[in-house]
Amino acid sequence: MKTVKVKFTVNNDKVTLQVKPYETLLETLRERLSLTGAKEACSLGACGACTVILNGIPVRSCLILTPEVDGMKITTIEGLKKGEKLHPLQKAFIEKGAVQCGFCTSGMIMTAKTLLDRNPKPKKEDIVRAISSNTCRCTGYKKIVEAIEAAATE
Amino acid sequence: MILPRLMYKKAKSINDAIQLFQKNNGNTFYLAGGTDIVPQVKLRLHAIDMLIDLKAIKELTGISVRDGWLSIGANTTLFEIKNHSQVREYFPALFQSLDATSCETLQMRGTIGGNILQNTRCLFYNKSLEWRKAKGFCFKMGGETCNVVPNAKACFANYCSDNAPSLLSLSAEVSLLGINGGRRIKLEEIFSGNSKTPFTILQGEILTAIHIPLRKTKGAYEKLRVRDSIDYPLVSAAFTLENGKGLLSIGAIGARPFLYSLDNMNENTVQDVMERIYNDSKPVANTILPASYRKKMARILAKRVITNVLREAHS
Amino acid sequence: MEYQNYIVGKRVPRSDSLAKVTGVALYTADLKLPGMLVAKVLRSPYPHARILNIDTKRALKVPGVKAVVSGFDGYGVKWGVFKYTQDHAMLHTDKVRYIGEDVAAVAAVDEETALEALEYITVEYEALEAVFDPLESMKEGAPLIHEAYPNNINIHVHIDVGEVDKAMAEAYYVRQDTFKAAGEAYAMMEPYAVVASYQNGYLDLWMPNAGPHVRAKALSNLLKIPLNKVRVRHINSGGAFGGRSEVSPGDFIASLLSIKSGRPVKLVLTREENAISTRQVHDIIATIKTGVKKDGTIIAKDYRVIYDGGAYSSTGPIATSIPFYVYEECYRFSNVRYNGYRVFTNKGIRGMYGCHGRAFLAGNEAQMDLIAREIGMDPVDIRKKNGLRKGEATATQSKIISCGLHETIEEAAKRSRFKEKWHTPSKYNGIGMGCVAIMCGFPMGFRSGSSCYVKLNDDGQATIVTGLVDNGQGNESMMIQIASEVLGIPMEDINLINADTEITNLDPGAYSQAAAFVGGNAVKAACEDARKQIIAIAAEKLTTNADDVALKDRMAFSKTNPEKKMPISWIVREAFFRGNPIMGKGSYFPYIDFEREWVSRPYGQMAGTFSFGTSVAEISIDPETGKIRIPRFIAAHDCGRAINPMAVEGQMEGSIQQAGIATIMEENIWHKGFLLNPDLLEYKVPLSCDMPDIETAIIHSLDPEGPFGAKEGGLTIRMNAYSAVASALYNATGKLFKELPLTPDRILNLMEERKEKEE
Repeated sequence: MKTVKVKFTVNNDKVTLQVKPYETLLETLRERLSLTGAKEACSLGACGACTVILNGIPVRSCLILTPEVDGMKITTIEGLKKGEKLHPLQKAFIEKGAVQCGFCTSGMIMTAKTLLDRNPKPKKEDIVRAISSNTCRCTGYKKIVEAIEAAATE
Repeated sequence: MILPRLMYKKAKSINDAIQLFQKNNGNTFYLAGGTDIVPQVKLRLHAIDMLIDLKAIKELTGISVRDGWLSIGANTTLFEIKNHSQVREYFPALFQSLDATSCETLQMRGTIGGNILQNTRCLFYNKSLEWRKAKGFCFKMGGETCNVVPNAKACFANYCSDNAPSLLSLSAEVSLLGINGGRRIKLEEIFSGNSKTPFTILQGEILTAIHIPLRKTKGAYEKLRVRDSIDYPLVSAAFTLENGKGLLSIGAIGARPFLYSLDNMNENTVQDVMERIYNDSKPVANTILPASYRKKMARILAKRVITNVLREAHS
Repeated sequence: MEYQNYIVGKRVPRSDSLAKVTGVALYTADLKLPGMLVAKVLRSPYPHARILNIDTKRALKVPGVKAVVSGFDGYGVKWGVFKYTQDHAMLHTDKVRYIGEDVAAVAAVDEETALEALEYITVEYEALEAVFDPLESMKEGAPLIHEAYPNNINIHVHIDVGEVDKAMAEAYYVRQDTFKAAGEAYAMMEPYAVVASYQNGYLDLWMPNAGPHVRAKALSNLLKIPLNKVRVRHINSGGAFGGRSEVSPGDFIASLLSIKSGRPVKLVLTREENAISTRQVHDIIATIKTGVKKDGTIIAKDYRVIYDGGAYSSTGPIATSIPFYVYEECYRFSNVRYNGYRVFTNKGIRGMYGCHGRAFLAGNEAQMDLIAREIGMDPVDIRKKNGLRKGEATATQSKIISCGLHETIEEAAKRSRFKEKWHTPSKYNGIGMGCVAIMCGFPMGFRSGSSCYVKLNDDGQATIVTGLVDNGQGNESMMIQIASEVLGIPMEDINLINADTEITNLDPGAYSQAAAFVGGNAVKAACEDARKQIIAIAAEKLTTNADDVALKDRMAFSKTNPEKKMPISWIVREAFFRGNPIMGKGSYFPYIDFEREWVSRPYGQMAGTFSFGTSVAEISIDPETGKIRIPRFIAAHDCGRAINPMAVEGQMEGSIQQAGIATIMEENIWHKGFLLNPDLLEYKVPLSCDMPDIETAIIHSLDPEGPFGAKEGGLTIRMNAYSAVASALYNATGKLFKELPLTPDRILNLMEERKEKEE
């Protein structure tokens, strides 16, 4: 089957790729661009470990076909820090002990980032609502909520 | 999990979409948010070879008021609709069902059209090809039996849209555009009552907009689920009240939501409806939690939505 | 040796967090090796069938396929955790015993090709009758799953202490109940994956695992490759919870494919495969008979517990025993009989789990509350009456050298205002308590100990090398923290090499709760060896006694005259000059009775020490829907001393999800050998919105053996959180649960029964 040309921006880098028309964005990020921060944990959109930001919105990249993102802007976990300076969420996740096995972390932080971008002073219930899109098996979520609260004050 | 081989086309307009559909002789799905069909295609539930992306079609997005109706483009995301001030103010049943749909992230990607046209679900259906081959193909997969109810003659998969029941309670209509032109019908007319093929929509027809008569209503939506996010409803109830008349819809049991009108809101009519709901609900063991429990809960949820709305109406 | 606890005991950011929050931490599925192939597995569609023939010839002809394997490509070696449970050949040639079992596999240039090639493998099966219920499976005439195990009884653990029947007869009050629980799913976020690379006689492997050494040894036996040439490498792990301790068919398959193709092979399981074809959790039926004296002293316990083990032994004897042990390590039982049966069924293989035993443990604890009420006591008093104390021994003769059980009970009770609430429940609200102990290590033969090496570089920074494993709980960071305290250099100066079978020595692994107590002690010992060498040179150079020298912030200095100091880096260089580089080595083997055996001799010291904990849960029941809400949870855990309190809290908080909230929603659902919810939508892993308000407390009993007094960091909550919920249900309704999870339909039934009883 013929590949299709797709042009998009990832973490402020412009890329032009030939992809399979039935390739998912998650596959493209992980296999072609070696951005393995987004994880495949369930493949069916139930868990959020594959969450990246697409034109400002958190999306399950495992449910998006790469040709859909032509002309769009994508941010992944690898694109959060500026040089060596960590994003406040990354800093807070470290300091508050919100990372254990780390497999859900990238998706969790990307979801949290879209929340703070849209609502810089979220109430605890806004944080809980937002991250109830993401499954974590290790932390019990408490320190994740605390980290997002701390990042919001920065 | 990789997708099976298929082609991708981005439609530039509604006509373009319909023509692409026709050219491919069926075997095609329209793609909006993808949160319902992409998992199904990954599980090899459908033998399609093309997805036509509708998201570039500008007319399919947006909320506007026209001739006393609030019209919502089918591609509008649930999140956008939820945050629309008139939806919040005028249609509380819809606001609550949007807020209860899945989780916040998926509300931002899922569209109202896609949510309405979602496929029916069953624990024995939404599984990988290997799992289903081992079990044996059922009616909904083109086989001759039901894997849930022995000797069944029909499919019992459940239609689990959160928003269809509330839209039904609001007397919503839908616009469709297809190979043979456009039409506008009541929302309830899109349901076939057949879990195997749940919609009456014609091949290639596109759901373009949902219309709700614009007026202030009182309403509520109740959803039974195990977790407070992500999960589909196991049973749901939507109720809208205006001018002393109520419309009640029960969802997530069987092929389509049930719809009941309450011409007045006295004790007897309410009791009568509860009785009818209990008799009409015929859930089977194709979800988490027993069917007998879901049957009981249909009535409880109906009672709750009505009670909530009446309490609010009197305060 | 006196430490000031500069860093031990502090809330420090973990050493592995930075890589994880920046997306650069590598997990197995992230690995890319040159020429790597993709593997896919063909699985059994039958729950029980004879394999008549496997034909792989056509699959090999598919363009892009580089290797195809089946059980006929192995050596027919059967593996088992114990010599007497060697029943698993990874890929079988005789029978398949559960739907989803691995039968054959391909390696191809990409996933599409591999999937296509699977369709060209032909397997001829002869379907056999299958059995799915453990009680059915034990009956005469049930289909025999393994020839060697009559009546499908895999393991029978029999423990008999004192005179149970006599004591029961003398008891003031006797009560017997049976409790059931469906088996859960581990649902770790990382689906299982393996990368195997065979080159020039060396087989390198990466996979999420709890102990690389046992993997390497098993694969060495299975593949007949010398142990030094099987190298299991370090890789990040996306959670294990006890389910990734043993060698798996995937490891064997990827290895065979790599050997055959001459290229690296990556096998990544889907979530469905992970749920169906890797470890699951035992369903349990526990019959518990308890006799108490009038003053609440438990004088007799008689247990009969059935564990549904699935199709193979796995950790059989361990899983059949652990729920009993964590309970007898918590309470004083002078007369106790335990009959635990692990039974085969044609379902996936059940393994050890961090939350294992909920039917037994929650049943014991809820029943205890009922008994307390019957004799006029409350849950706090009866637990304090029967709870073990330091210096005592358990029924099976393990001595307890530190015990904060009573402090955890008191703290949890105080913070929750337990007594006040328990005595005044409302019809739909209740409060409950659960206690348990955890052994810090199991008898694992010569693998029960750990060893560590330390090297210092000429800038005074260190590398510590240990076999210890981290599955996400923070073990790696904890070792660096311990090393930092002992060596007097900051955590950022310390590199860690761990969990690599070529470089690191044996360690029990992230299994049996031994990381802090055993692994930590070995790291401490090795660092103290290096410290001694550093201090010797410093004492000489600073002209003082060794006792007077302390190490802190990269400096060695005199305690009495801190102006006398020198950088550790100078000392390291001096040592090199002298031809005697600073090199630390240390080991720790816990005091365990190595004669102890799970089945043949279940008596003797089980572990070097034990941790203790108490959970308290408040619940609220919706009377119309039966749905339970858990608004508040308090957990108190005696970890001896928290090396990193933030990490211990994290363990407790995670446990409240995985064991506490799980009580009301988690279960694998079966239909004739088919798993109905092998996914993360219909298997209910609690989300943030489902979580209660949580308060945690850490109790410091300062274990005399543990490094800085440390014991394991939080597993008690994973094994008592469900007890707190079940006990709270009893408090609210006056009824004991019959079956977990406490789904709303079960609660409605329970309340209906209560109503009928009242009328």
